[in-house]
Amino acid sequence: MVDKLTKQKEDMQKFQETEMLKHLDLKYKNEIIRSMEWLAKKDDTIFLGQAVKYSGNAMYNTTKTVPEDKLVELPVFEDVQMGMSMGMAFEGFVPITCYPRFDFLILATNQLVNHLDKINIISEGQFQPRVIIRTSIGSRIPLDAGEQHTQDHTQAYRNLLKRVDIVVLDESDDIFPAFKHAYERQPLSKYDSLVTLLIEWGDHYNAK
Amino acid sequence: MKIPSYLKKVKEVNWTKEQLVQFQLDAKREWESGSVLGPVHLSKGNEEQLIEIFQYVHPDDWVFSTWRNHFHALLHGISPDWLMNEIKRGHSMKVMNKKHNFVISAIVGGPIPQALGVAMALKRKGSKRRVWCFVGDMAFETSEFHLCHKYAKNFDLPLQFVVEDNNLSTNTPTDVTWGSKQEVPDDVIHYEYERGYPHHGSGNWVLF
Repeated sequence: MVDKLTKQKEDMQKFQETEMLKHLDLKYKNEIIRSMEWLAKKDDTIFLGQAVKYSGNAMYNTTKTVPEDKLVELPVFEDVQMGMSMGMAFEGFVPITCYPRFDFLILATNQLVNHLDKINIISEGQFQPRVIIRTSIGSRIPLDAGEQHTQDHTQAYRNLLKRVDIVVLDESDDIFPAFKHAYERQPLSKYDSLVTLLIEWGDHYNAK
Repeated sequence: MKIPSYLKKVKEVNWTKEQLVQFQLDAKREWESGSVLGPVHLSKGNEEQLIEIFQYVHPDDWVFSTWRNHFHALLHGISPDWLMNEIKRGHSMKVMNKKHNFVISAIVGGPIPQALGVAMALKRKGSKRRVWCFVGDMAFETSEFHLCHKYAKNFDLPLQFVVEDNNLSTNTPTDVTWGSKQEVPDDVIHYEYERGYPHHGSGNWVLF
């Protein structure tokens, strides 16, 4: 019985790894880096978060080539970071606000759901802050980061957010156009949010 | 009430205590007519303190307020006609005015991180403008206040907090819930007052 369960577990793991490998794309991280470099050339952009300037997670590798004066390393205060990003956008900045893992982004849910997602409605379109939010679903291969570092809350956020555009970056070819669109898109109405949540796959990073 | 010495008077306030009280009486009358289909949070009891404080608030400064925002809005130069119209529309607790850099949140502590972000943006731009963040006594005790006050102080950001202390959060006594209250930092303006109206409404029965 034990042998049978062990075999089933091994087969499942092999299947998962095979499926994962099918989706791995060697261009993935480079496309994110290209996107960050393109955004960094814009006068109004600024990059905020933990490990945007100092190493500590995979996302750091995508901001290494961003000029230092564009990077603001923040303490761990996720909800403040989201509100701060919103405030900077009020004054004309386009923050690229980075949350290395989805598990951490949920700590910013108050500012994201109650404020940033609703500001266009509450203010009747007077305020239309443009904020680009980056997060990543933590990798499981080759090291499984565990339950508190690998959660995918995409569907929960699709339910919670009425206006924020949510984009899951599955394919490498989608990455640059998605970031470009997040920066350039114009509102269709005064109630249209200019906030984009881009969700990356940590496991795709690991292929590089 | 102590005004920090680094603040300078920038204008004469053209509202008297009596005019502010009368504005709220007019709003009260509208509310009691049953035609306002939204909660209304009337102000009373802090007119003199706010008239003094707003002598230090430049018209171009940002003001972040709460659900109880009518006096802040008027003293920051927002037209009383415009504000009364918003109240009549049921927008008392979501008064937003971009022209006057006036933002509110109906979530306790909600505006604080946004005020911090605006202050950070102003500093990066080299602006002389300031951000004023009005909070109640319960918000003063929250983590958002602690984090943002510490960050603003350490990075010398132009963010001025004002704590409006009636020792009530809705109808819950703040000192009872915390056992005591924290000390007021030197750079925070703090005043105590007695709320002249209930948390919302006028205290009279209204048929809608």
